[in-house]
Amino acid sequence: MRIDELKIDSEMLYSGHNACPGCGAALAVRYLTKALGPNLAIVLTASCWSIISGMPPLTALKCPILHCPFPSAGSVGSGVKRGLNAAGHDDTTVVVLAGDGGTFDIGLQAMSGAAQRNEDYIFVCYDNEAYMNTGMQTSSATPFGARTATAPYPLFKAGQKKDIMQIMAAHGIPYAATATVAFPDDMESKLKKAQAIKGFRFIHILSPCPPGWGTESSDTIHLSRLAVSTGFFPLYEIENGVTWKMTHYQGEKKTPLKEYLSAQRRFKQMDRQRMEMLQHEVDHEWDCLMEKVATSPSE
Amino acid sequence: MSTDTMIQEKPCYSYGFEPSTANKTGDWRFLTPEKSSRLSPCRQDCLLDGEIPLWMEAVKQEKWEEAWQIVSRYNPFPAITGYVCYHPCTSNCNRGQLDQDIAIEEVEKAIGEWRLNNIKAVQRPIKYKGKIGIVGSGPAGLSCAYYLNAAGYSVTVYEKTSLIGGMLTLGIPEYRLPRYVLNRELYMLEESGIHFIKDCPIGDKKDLCELYEEYDNIFLATGAWKPRRAYIPGEEDRRVYNALDFLSAINSGGQLEISDPVVVIGGGNAAIDSARSALRLKGVNHVSLVYRRSRAEMPANQEEVEAAEREGVELIFNALPREVEKEEQDIIGLMFDYCKTDLNGLSIDRSRSFSKSCGTVVMALGQQADLSVFCEFGRDVPFFAGGDLITGPSTVPEAIKAGRIAAYGIVADLEGLPVPQVMLPEQPVVSFEDLNLATKLNIKMQHKECTPELEASRCLGCGTCNACGTCYIFCPDMAIDVINGRFELNLDYCKGCGICVKECPAQALVLEGGR
Repeated sequence: MRIDELKIDSEMLYSGHNACPGCGAALAVRYLTKALGPNLAIVLTASCWSIISGMPPLTALKCPILHCPFPSAGSVGSGVKRGLNAAGHDDTTVVVLAGDGGTFDIGLQAMSGAAQRNEDYIFVCYDNEAYMNTGMQTSSATPFGARTATAPYPLFKAGQKKDIMQIMAAHGIPYAATATVAFPDDMESKLKKAQAIKGFRFIHILSPCPPGWGTESSDTIHLSRLAVSTGFFPLYEIENGVTWKMTHYQGEKKTPLKEYLSAQRRFKQMDRQRMEMLQHEVDHEWDCLMEKVATSPSE
Repeated sequence: MSTDTMIQEKPCYSYGFEPSTANKTGDWRFLTPEKSSRLSPCRQDCLLDGEIPLWMEAVKQEKWEEAWQIVSRYNPFPAITGYVCYHPCTSNCNRGQLDQDIAIEEVEKAIGEWRLNNIKAVQRPIKYKGKIGIVGSGPAGLSCAYYLNAAGYSVTVYEKTSLIGGMLTLGIPEYRLPRYVLNRELYMLEESGIHFIKDCPIGDKKDLCELYEEYDNIFLATGAWKPRRAYIPGEEDRRVYNALDFLSAINSGGQLEISDPVVVIGGGNAAIDSARSALRLKGVNHVSLVYRRSRAEMPANQEEVEAAEREGVELIFNALPREVEKEEQDIIGLMFDYCKTDLNGLSIDRSRSFSKSCGTVVMALGQQADLSVFCEFGRDVPFFAGGDLITGPSTVPEAIKAGRIAAYGIVADLEGLPVPQVMLPEQPVVSFEDLNLATKLNIKMQHKECTPELEASRCLGCGTCNACGTCYIFCPDMAIDVINGRFELNLDYCKGCGICVKECPAQALVLEGGR
């Protein structure tokens, strides 16, 4: 890679933000703003990023950020986009940035409404799989078997992770995609693609959280890569709710899920039986995804 | 109220307007990433200590001039070494475990040829008043002359024969080093202001003491030209050549009396060179190479042995010559005894002797340095010496390295400086397991078509920052600055997460405790 290919001038994240060392969310937003900027407005619901973006008078991003209450991200995004349109700023990209809590649980109804109205903005969910900012409480994005503050040892998260992509696909929105921080090129191309489409667009980014997941801060990228290679978090996109496409397909040979789980302390108490259950579940989801990709109508 | 005044008035809610760079997050850190100084296997194995990953990177970016400047710090003649060096650098290349070793010597050759084609030789200005005399214009002498000339000293090189280049010109056959490359390289040296005095053997025409009077410092690099003898009956015949005479006669266009078939005795590189050269002579149909030990014990480079075998040289092992058989004036054969190495050394079995018919014999039994010239004086006269003269017969790159080290020593001696550190310090070598190949951002697999740039782009840059940008891409804190095309850690903001260290594909960073 050459230095001019790094597009250093289009970075929009400042140093000195308040993310923990090795934060996946900080990286995700860095790639996001770099890909979509500079004409960008961000609506931010309560999440880690509310803290990362800095306390006034400091700000961590070169674009405006509007903080909004937890359940209202979907609606505030709609309002901001319509307001900008009314003021003649049609070309400004509006991004609603929410954590998994603000997407999967608390923000779901507002987001669902906006998706149903096909509001013209990009909803980005950076998913660190629990309410990390408030102390690692279980969310509906927490995977099966994980230990959290609300499910301490010997308890564990009993239910499955909510399949948000299926929900969004069912809304029939023009574009939905998954991405993760270990594959910045893939994320950039998806964001650029989303930016060119009009209507409600949804990007689901897996962003590892070292303190919440119980990992070394240096393992962020490694884990993000493992999540993809194990099939735990496949990278794909959905167009108009019907056309499913893999964007990073490493073939049928998947890394065993054990490798991904054993690297994280939140899965430390997981016994073999539960691990096999989760592996089975991941394999099943993978097969379903492959079937959807195979049976997708071509353009 | 219009929109403009709304914006201009101070809003009643809190908002951020200052970049968060005011918040120096560097003080959160308890582990600090640092650029590491680990050796790549190629540099570890390089006979010249060349900074291979660095110039590979320059070639990859098509910065040829930069590549030449990096190469010339350790090797002033990349075109020559690209051809003649046995490239031990490629033997442990980490890339080999991924797909195939990198053809480092081909990239080196390309840099050398770029330099010969694109950089004009200019008369170097003489900046210092020290005068240096160099005896011997082989690779060691030329390398020393190059560095001293480049540093700004007046350099004079004395050569015994009428041809400059020593072993490069006389010893190495043309099929291994094309003469147009060598001649251009020598022309560049002459043009850059080095004074060559040919046909001037030291001892006969000029005394070393005279040299010592004339010059501020002298470097002796006369090489090892004195052949070892076999001490067998019939060895004085005029058709029993020693390898160096044989090769220099071929290389300088002299006349040789050859009759088929040719037998070469010896197992070193000179023997292989002689055998392959003999095969290229007119009227020679059959060449055999006879070595007293087994194939595995041959000191010659294995690639060269295989090449000789491919060309049709017959290889005979475990045979020791006993006698040159003559009929009237002609050589008709060579008598050999069977011998093999065991715990007692070489044991000879006379009962299993055999005869091989031949017309010409080439003895390649090794050479020694001829010290007779220096015996008379030398005790009172301090001088520098290097190359084959000191080490015994070795390789061109080792001689070049000796010349470079001597040049440093001479400058330190003349200017009264401390002797510089010229050897590579002991450092851990980056192994294949150390590399993070998952970061496939800059790893390209084998290319179908091959150019030096594409070949260089396969280099993984073990242990060396080759500005791939992986650390920059994955830093969540924007704590990697780009300064003049290099990546530098900005410790004001680095929180010490260690992602850059873990993800660096080349292991060029290391995480240290503390701040």
